[in-house]
Amino acid sequence: MEKSTDTSLYLRVSEQDKAALEELYDRYEKILFSFLYKMLEDRGLAEEVLQEVFIKIWRGKGVYDESKGKFSSWLFRMAQNTAIDLIRKQKKPTVPIEEASQMVSNDEPVVEQVVWQEKKTQIEMAVQHLSAEQQKMIDLFYFKGHTHETIADMCDIPLGTVKSRIRLALKKLKISLHGLQERGAYDD
Amino acid sequence: MTNIDCDYLVDYLNGTLSEKENKEFEQHLMTCSECQEIVEATGQLPYLADPVEPPTDMKARILSNVFDETVEQNDQPKALKPAMSPIPIHKKRRKENVWKPLLAAVLLMSLLGNGYAFYQLSDQPAGTETAIQSIELQPNEAFTGTATAAMIEEEGLLNLVVQADQLAELEASQVYQVWLIKDGKPIPAGAFSPNPNGEGASYYQLETTSKEWDTIAITLEPKTGNELPEGQIVLSSEI
Repeated sequence: MEKSTDTSLYLRVSEQDKAALEELYDRYEKILFSFLYKMLEDRGLAEEVLQEVFIKIWRGKGVYDESKGKFSSWLFRMAQNTAIDLIRKQKKPTVPIEEASQMVSNDEPVVEQVVWQEKKTQIEMAVQHLSAEQQKMIDLFYFKGHTHETIADMCDIPLGTVKSRIRLALKKLKISLHGLQERGAYDD
Repeated sequence: MTNIDCDYLVDYLNGTLSEKENKEFEQHLMTCSECQEIVEATGQLPYLADPVEPPTDMKARILSNVFDETVEQNDQPKALKPAMSPIPIHKKRRKENVWKPLLAAVLLMSLLGNGYAFYQLSDQPAGTETAIQSIELQPNEAFTGTATAAMIEEEGLLNLVVQADQLAELEASQVYQVWLIKDGKPIPAGAFSPNPNGEGASYYQLETTSKEWDTIAITLEPKTGNELPEGQIVLSSEI
């Protein structure tokens, strides 16, 4: 039987098909939980946010439009924004800046899913092409949920500079990632 | 005409745009390939996370809460629904055991001993959900935990819901595994690990409609996913 696409599952979910939501859940449970755990460093909070994400999908609060990109990107962005809301509401203590710069793990994780490992390797390589400063910007911005104002305070740089540094870091990440994907991730 | 341009990308990703600005930026995204590509690139960042094993009973908790939310929603007049308000984080909901209301209903039914009463008391249309049996499991030897199991038939499918409490904390890889046994042959029927309050629950949809089990048991397994029990039985009951 042909495997359903994320989009076709999403469309079925919008018609209140429970089985389709369960299938989407199964596809993304582990990556979302791992991502949210990386952001929140708390299994209970990661579960809270994951639940909110699926409530939003089920209720149709978050509307996915295929023309605006991949479903997974949309889903991850919704998860990230929901986690950021929680972080800001709780005023979670910020991670010390020295730790925040350690974005790429040196550990050799046991990865069960080949696809995950491939993507992880690619994105880690792309991140390693960034300067330490740019890595720190992406980590503080993307994974730690800090506002531009907080990052400006933490790094003692003007607000406008924070924004342009994040954009430049993301732009460079995109270019590195494209380069790696075009010539195959394991050439070097 | 809109003033929203590439400068808003970072705010868009950070979820700090107003609803109107967000829509305007999404219009901008349709025409700006560079912003599109950056947004897609960030869609791969979550894969930087090291894999973390979710709790075995998280799926049952989350999906039941998600579908439960819908029932609550349907109870409210549509005009009162805040269309775009942020979804609150239900901290208290998660800590409550999601199966308590269901089990309470099942136990009530058991007391009444009359399925008809269920339909009278329930808002559900007749034929969607029928409690068949609820069972108190007995702890073995020195085990202090308690558990209740309920068989529920929903839309022609048989579901087994187990709720346990007063459970000791487990080591990382351990899990409580539910088994249904017939003539000494066990099949796995859900697994759970306790929360910090010592409570755990599992929800399992059986692949068979057979109700002819003779025993239900919970074992303490050294790892998840065992097809046959390795650990000792901690709670059990004849069915």
